[in-house]
Amino acid sequence: MIDILKKTSSDFFNKQGYPSKKLENWKFTSSKNLIKFVKQDSPDIVSRKIKTDESTLLFINGKLCLDTLENFKFKDNLEIQDLVNINDENVFAFSNTFSNDAMFNLGMSDFESGHYIKFKKNTTLENPVKIINFFGNNSSDCRITSFNIFHFEEGSQVSIIEKDINEGTPSFNLKLNKFICDDASNLKFGKYIEEKSDCHLLSYSYYEVGKDVCLNIDSMNKNSIFSKEFIEIDLNNTGSDAKVNILNLVKNEQHLDNNILINHNAEHCTSFQHVRNILDNKSTAVFNGKVIVAEGAQHTDSNQSNKNLLLSLDSTAFSNPQLEIYADDVSCGHGSTTGALDENSIFYLRARGIDQSSAQKMLIKAFAKEVIDEFSLSSVQDISEIALDSWING
Amino acid sequence: MIKIENLKASIDDKDILKGINLEIPAGEVHVIMGRNGSGKSTLANVIAGNETYEVDGGNITMETTDITEMSIENRALEGIFLCFQYPVAIPGVSMAYFLRSALNAHRKYQGKEEMDALEFLNKAKAILSELGLDDSFLKRSINDGFSGGEKKKSEILQLLTINPKLAVLDETDSGLDVDALRTVAKGVNKFKNENNSVLIITHYQRLLDYIKPDVVHLMIDGKIVKTGDMSLVEKVEKDGYSWLEK
Repeated sequence: MIDILKKTSSDFFNKQGYPSKKLENWKFTSSKNLIKFVKQDSPDIVSRKIKTDESTLLFINGKLCLDTLENFKFKDNLEIQDLVNINDENVFAFSNTFSNDAMFNLGMSDFESGHYIKFKKNTTLENPVKIINFFGNNSSDCRITSFNIFHFEEGSQVSIIEKDINEGTPSFNLKLNKFICDDASNLKFGKYIEEKSDCHLLSYSYYEVGKDVCLNIDSMNKNSIFSKEFIEIDLNNTGSDAKVNILNLVKNEQHLDNNILINHNAEHCTSFQHVRNILDNKSTAVFNGKVIVAEGAQHTDSNQSNKNLLLSLDSTAFSNPQLEIYADDVSCGHGSTTGALDENSIFYLRARGIDQSSAQKMLIKAFAKEVIDEFSLSSVQDISEIALDSWING
Repeated sequence: MIKIENLKASIDDKDILKGINLEIPAGEVHVIMGRNGSGKSTLANVIAGNETYEVDGGNITMETTDITEMSIENRALEGIFLCFQYPVAIPGVSMAYFLRSALNAHRKYQGKEEMDALEFLNKAKAILSELGLDDSFLKRSINDGFSGGEKKKSEILQLLTINPKLAVLDETDSGLDVDALRTVAKGVNKFKNENNSVLIITHYQRLLDYIKPDVVHLMIDGKIVKTGDMSLVEKVEKDGYSWLEK
């Protein structure tokens, strides 16, 4: 199955090539920056070198380290298979948006190995699972691709905190993930990216959501030189709720792009997108948010919000919130704001004796806090506040 | 306490203040009344250092320090406190964090140690109680979702916490019901003593029924044209301002 998929994807990419700016999803982000990176066999890294604990699943260059599973305290709640051994085509099904994206197909044709990780029915974990994605290489301009599928069976309640660590020379990490959330499952997925190297990140995350599911995605991204993230959520059955809260901190000439598509395919579902970008220097941020309410998806309640705080005259934000509604009994809203710090607020704080720099920092923190407070995982909130402090004072 | 000499100020090349002279000694409450657009709020903002306005001439001296060119925050630290007519809402910054930051900025300026969280909370809660506000007020974001009355009480909470030398109340009585007006007045009366001063900018007599002024000034077209006692307020209530132009 996987070989057929890889061959099909390879043919697709070879026919399409790297996406041009004529495509809506790539309008403000050039794929030219990614062309120089070539697929290379990445060196093996001894997993012992990377600090983990008993709640950590370690992935090195996209491959699950099976030897770290021995100490994984939730291993009895998991079923893990190599993707090579999966023959159910539904497991590999992705949305049309992803299937028709050249870079997604490049990733599908590229990846060396991946896993299908299933959290068993009614699994309830008392602590979050930590996922560490370690990317390391010795050769420059290396493209590292990963593809893993996570399945949360009926009634499972799982929290995951994912962190990327990049070491070595500049690389391009192309990450493909699928999340299958069965009926009545509850997934809190927190992502924290704090880049310290010149790593380019392009990720595709597809969420297939069943009935009465509660899905929370929290994401904090700091200092990525280039990051483009696609999130697509299919709400396929009634009574489900999806919340996506993202905070991005960008400076210098960093470029960050969030593409979020939520498909309301069933009645009585709710969704919420909240993306805040804080931009300094010559950085750029892009928000492409879309909600599609299918015909018959009555009683949908959906809201999307994108707010951009520009700290520099040279920073740029592109915001494109969109709604497509094909049902007539829904509540949908969207909004976008872009602007500098409010001068009246700065005056107010300074008039109480707070110096200008502290007043500005206070307002930046306040802007970020409104989305941090929405994060579903307290540990992601804590990490984000610390990261924000160091970013502001850095 | 504060001495203003021949103060001239403009905004977008439009002259607003055209030579204000005003001296408020320690221990006194002064009132400025005037028509809309006469420059009252501009004067309050210029005293506080609002950089939207251009100071075109004159001096402002606080005790012995010339503050005319001083930054907004340094004026505040020197003892000037502006009770805003329209306090801004700042979502995401709690009242507790803001108040403690402001208080400790003053303490640091005065060479005192920063107040720890517990001591601060005790102090703030005592003031809240006097203003009839719940302790949960401190957890709320600055002025965010506050009613008109709560916004003005928030200003008085800040006034009593920071305890400045000069309080400038810019139409603090506007939009208040009788109960809230009494609470605000009670807060101002608690604040004032022989070592500090109060400048009240208002359109109405009703606040002055609770806070007795020592001196009343009437302002027309960017200038103080008449100074007197409480009888001036009664005349304005009765006859308006047109008699001043005759």
